[in-house]
Amino acid sequence: MITITINGKEIKLEKPVTVLEAARANGIKIPALCAHEQLEKYGGCRLCLVEVEKMPRLQTSCTLTVADGMVIKTESENITKARRGVLEFLLINHPLDCPVCDKAGECELQDLVSKYGASAGRFKEEKRKTPESHEDRILARNMERCILCTRCVRMCKDVQGASALTIVERGGKSRMEPFSRESFNCEYCGNCHTVCPVGAILARPNIHNYRPWQIDREVETVCPYCGVGCSFILQVRDESIKRTIPKLGLGLNNGLLCSRGRWGYDFANNPERLKYPLIRKNGKLEQSSWDEALGLIVNKLQTIKNTQGGKAIAGIASPRCTNEDNYVFQKFLRTACQTNNIDSVSRLGFASAQRYFEDILGQGITANMIAGLKNSDVIIVLGGDPTAVNPILGLSVRAAARNGAKIVVIGNAKGLERFKTLKVTPPVFKEADVLEAVLSEIAKVKGPRGEKPAIDKRINELAGKYRTPEISGFNELKELLLSGKSVSIVLGTDIVQRTNGHKALFAVAGITYLLEARLYLLSERANEQGLIDMGCLPDALPGGRPLNINDFRKRFETSWGSSIPSDNGLTLMEIVDASRDKKIKALYVMGENPAFNIPNNPYVKEALSALEFLVVQDIFLTETAEIAHVVLPALSWSEKDGTYTNLERRIQRLRKAVNAPSGMEDWKIISEVSNRMGCKMQYRGTEEIIDEIADISPLYKGLTYDEITKGNCLWPYKGEPLRGVISEIPAAPEKSDDYKGDFYLVPEKLLFHSGTLSRRSSSLNRICPEPSLKIGEGHAQRLGLKDGDNVKIHASDGNLSIKISTDRYIKDNLVFISNNFEGRGVFSLLRYSLDPVTKAPGLEGCEIKIEKA
Amino acid sequence: MENFLLKNIENPDSADIEEYLKIGGYKNIAKAFELEPKAIIEEVKKAGLRGRGGAGFPTAMKWSFAAADPKFPKYLLCNADEGEPGTFKDRPILEKNPHLLIEGMVISGYALGAEYGYIYLRGEYPHAKDVLNKAISQAYEKNYLGDNILGKSIKFHLAVHQGAGAYICGEETALIESLEGKRGQPRTRPPFPVNVGAWAMPTVVNNVETLCNIPYIISIGSEAYSQIGSKDCPGPKLYCVSGCVEKPGVYELPMGTSLKDIIFNHAGGIKGGKKLKAVIPGGISTPVLPESMIDCPMDFSSMPKHGSMLGSGAVIVMDESVCMVKVTYRALKFFEHESCGKCTPCREGTEWLRKSLGRIERGEGREGDIELLQEISENIMGKTFCPLGDGAAGVVLGMLKHFKGEFEEKIKAKGSRV
Ligand SMILES: Cc1cc2nc3c(=O)[nH]c(=O)nc-3n(C[C@H](O)[C@H](O)[C@H](O)COP(=O)(O)O)c2cc1C
Ligand code: SF4
Ligand code: SF4
Ligand code: SF4
Ligand code: FES
Repeated sequence: MITITINGKEIKLEKPVTVLEAARANGIKIPALCAHEQLEKYGGCRLCLVEVEKMPRLQTSCTLTVADGMVIKTESENITKARRGVLEFLLINHPLDCPVCDKAGECELQDLVSKYGASAGRFKEEKRKTPESHEDRILARNMERCILCTRCVRMCKDVQGASALTIVERGGKSRMEPFSRESFNCEYCGNCHTVCPVGAILARPNIHNYRPWQIDREVETVCPYCGVGCSFILQVRDESIKRTIPKLGLGLNNGLLCSRGRWGYDFANNPERLKYPLIRKNGKLEQSSWDEALGLIVNKLQTIKNTQGGKAIAGIASPRCTNEDNYVFQKFLRTACQTNNIDSVSRLGFASAQRYFEDILGQGITANMIAGLKNSDVIIVLGGDPTAVNPILGLSVRAAARNGAKIVVIGNAKGLERFKTLKVTPPVFKEADVLEAVLSEIAKVKGPRGEKPAIDKRINELAGKYRTPEISGFNELKELLLSGKSVSIVLGTDIVQRTNGHKALFAVAGITYLLEARLYLLSERANEQGLIDMGCLPDALPGGRPLNINDFRKRFETSWGSSIPSDNGLTLMEIVDASRDKKIKALYVMGENPAFNIPNNPYVKEALSALEFLVVQDIFLTETAEIAHVVLPALSWSEKDGTYTNLERRIQRLRKAVNAPSGMEDWKIISEVSNRMGCKMQYRGTEEIIDEIADISPLYKGLTYDEITKGNCLWPYKGEPLRGVISEIPAAPEKSDDYKGDFYLVPEKLLFHSGTLSRRSSSLNRICPEPSLKIGEGHAQRLGLKDGDNVKIHASDGNLSIKISTDRYIKDNLVFISNNFEGRGVFSLLRYSLDPVTKAPGLEGCEIKIEKA
Repeated sequence: MENFLLKNIENPDSADIEEYLKIGGYKNIAKAFELEPKAIIEEVKKAGLRGRGGAGFPTAMKWSFAAADPKFPKYLLCNADEGEPGTFKDRPILEKNPHLLIEGMVISGYALGAEYGYIYLRGEYPHAKDVLNKAISQAYEKNYLGDNILGKSIKFHLAVHQGAGAYICGEETALIESLEGKRGQPRTRPPFPVNVGAWAMPTVVNNVETLCNIPYIISIGSEAYSQIGSKDCPGPKLYCVSGCVEKPGVYELPMGTSLKDIIFNHAGGIKGGKKLKAVIPGGISTPVLPESMIDCPMDFSSMPKHGSMLGSGAVIVMDESVCMVKVTYRALKFFEHESCGKCTPCREGTEWLRKSLGRIERGEGREGDIELLQEISENIMGKTFCPLGDGAAGVVLGMLKHFKGEFEEKIKAKGSRV
């Protein structure tokens, strides 16, 4: 215990913090500009000066660590004079342009000056002049206003880990500059902009577009993009979103955001939003009334159900819709439509892996706190780049590396190149072999754990079969894993998308099991976990209750007042096949774009076009909506209430911030259809839906919005994991190929885009306007290509003209294209074959030729 | 007193290892290796050696902190940045007597438990760089550097790192930043370099002259060494005298030689028989002394009592014809240019001072300027991150203290005096 005295008040402290922290924690205010809770000490601005007994000079409280018996004064004539002096110095070169500065009203310098009253009136010399730079697409720089606190530099380097900024020149000529000079060319998280105390870093997407005091509303909500579920404040004016503001202490992102969360909100303001229902008439989509559209849907679904049975109907749920939407959606399909054909694009990765892991390791196995990553000593990253897929989780991996954790990357993860201890590149599409070998080697040392016999048994079987791969770093990898005391595994979905993906998943499960590791599953969309929890699966009811266990089903039937078909439904890919085979006649799509978001687009489109009836609820006229029979305008995430469940299984509230001019909540549209079909859904609001969920789902037992608001929303929320593990690990015959082609095309997950939502964000499009083919630098050179060249690629399913971007970290012959841009998504070229166990599409083996255009 | 630090420098080949060996060079390494590292630190402590870089910190104390830190590797950095205006005392050693420095560093490294050393060399000393590099390779050849020095399994490696022309990089933590390849700016202390220095390892930074005193202490013993010059900071000292004197140059004299003696006896008095006006005794960062105050012993403890500091021992002599406003302006131009920009008072204050002084100097002074200069300086003094800012403010405050009249005159006359 340390005892200090500040302004005569005795303060006891558990651990040695800085004087500034000690003061603040005790309500004593000390002005500070360069200090920031999230950043390393700096001591540059010199505002936080205090007097300390027995120390000759004034001391900067932000750098001085308390020591037992320290006697500190934070106010005195001497201190006031010094602070005024410092403020005066800061102002001599600071322009007097508050009236036109975006920061005015929330500027820390302005606040301090008005409080301590300094002026630079005595400065009669000429001020330094630097024109505001608008060279960058997103961030403007006004170096006249910069007070050189270096918060931005420290944020970018020490927290974001992008190291994109520096101070160039020295003394009074110093200025902040991106290393890439005029353009930032960085991760565009905007976190430098957040911490800048003055108006020196400005956000061009909303520059001169609002004043902080002209905001109509500030609403706390959750990001619509990925499964991390960052919290922020939406500022709204004239029913349009002006900004997203992260805040210290708010949500798990604690003041940070990534590029998508920061800038991607503007899709909701996009003028192309659907405004009224559309019905296909004479081959064309035409405006209709809600009544007509709903009537048509009810009519069609009833007829198909009555003539062909519920099995001829299927539904695709949405990982971007709320828990409430998804709950209502599956209830509607199971009751009103009498079908279990319910799935989502989460089948492409997250849902498949999640189900697999839960089956063999137990429910909740991936429910680990992101914050816990920082405490790991070894982190294995595979199957994707967390800094692109789930950027804020990625920051925790980087933070762990800075804390001394060993980061092992298997495959490619560019955002971790400067943080990794070891990178292992498996032969293309052979991740499973490498992982099985790792698992077997670990098992040799650790022996069977004896807790889960099925896993021990399978590990034992592998022991005789595996081969040590001839790749560099394998032994190091094994040693590192064995050396870990607190191991985390961060798994992306790339390795799920293999025809033998379940083998890799088993190996990961086995490693998790033997090392007692924490498993994190990357989640590309905001509510993938929630969608699973809500029962948007062909084989499970809400709460993960297996559908084919009569007792469970009965409970739901009683509660819902309707029978539920007892057979498992079809998975996503099976729904597509069945549509093409005309076994499914009607498909109801809520907030999803399967024609673009499912691999082998031409095939999927053909299948969807074969449907007798296709309904799409969306906020834009997507590729799928274009071929639908009825299109209904829904609401964006900012226009409705509800909850999302993130990849940690934290349940968080979405709050309505904007009054939409048109459209309806997804759950409301569905309820309306359900009512008209005779299955009553009388929800007056989302709270009533969550009440029902809380009542019926063992995982959300007793949950209320109040509890969520209080933050009591972490797994297992009052409920308990209920599903036991299976006794036999499912296996499938192996398919083998040695992939000796030149290049293989695989999907890339971009930091700046997500699905088809982000293409409606003009800011994200400014950052990343077009797709590219990512290729290893060495390979490009071999082909005589350089960064930015245009190429034509030939795949068995078509050609594509695209520009290349070279990447010096890619060593294998995988080439990458993302699936975001209209007409140029990688899924238009990739065929798939199903993993027989997880039913995820295997995307391996798409050999392509590259030719200079 | 016989020269030790500048021994043999009249010899045009003094930088060659053979010449150095001829005068008994490198003998002290063997002698030092006979002793336990701790015993060497003890010797240096008894000798009373204080750092010659400017602050006069007891060398043995610094070493013992680093030696006591359990982390390895440890680093020994020689501060050869010599950027303080008026200072050129290390230069003759670097250019003429490099082996003395190497010898000193090998012994010091052994005492500290440091196996790696760097000489952080002023960017504007290209000749010294060549000399040092040649001397280092000669020392490697003769096994005074390497993995197995003198066959005793003692290891010390040494390399030269050239600065890029920033005065602040002479400040030890900025020096470390710069050595690590970062922007040259001072670091927050604590932790001190002796515990968390270069690459976060225990690090000792010593001035060239400091390190060159080590072989001397080993050679004559702490007892004899402590008899040289001032009692509480003994040893030989290099004074470099510049400005209006007959014989500017570097003089090796016992610590505590009086300033008056240095100027009038050793440096031959004021040039052209003019009258002495003022002296900046220890490099531009030390407060100016008027002619009436130069009867003072030039050592670390006496100078503060006489209103200034020993600093680097760079004596800048100004005769009656020198305009003090102009000197102040020139000094502030230097400080403004060299301020690293990290902290507000130094970055903004030096600019403001320079601009105001420039105005006065151009004959555009205004009423109230003197009070303004005084206040700006006071607002800098004691509030900056590192001593550079204090130095800048100190120049102005010192000048205003002793030569206020000249400033007033200039503001009134609205014209240049000289
Ligand atoms: C602005 C500034 C510049 C300095 N420049 C030098 C220098 O050029 N050479 C030097 O030896 N010490 C310089 N110092 C002092 C060093 O920080 C440090 O005290 C010294 O290298 C320690 O060596 P010593 O203990 O041998 O004196 C400077 C200090 C400051 C604040
Ligand atoms: S936006 Fe993010 S990555 Fe870019 S410079 Fe700012 S902090 Fe760094
Ligand atoms: S741009 Fe802002 S955050 Fe960066 S140094 Fe300048 S004032 Fe500080
Ligand atoms: S006083 Fe401040 S600005 Fe000046 S050199 Fe030192 S740290 Fe840099
Ligand atoms: S807040 Fe302490 S020096 Fe800036």
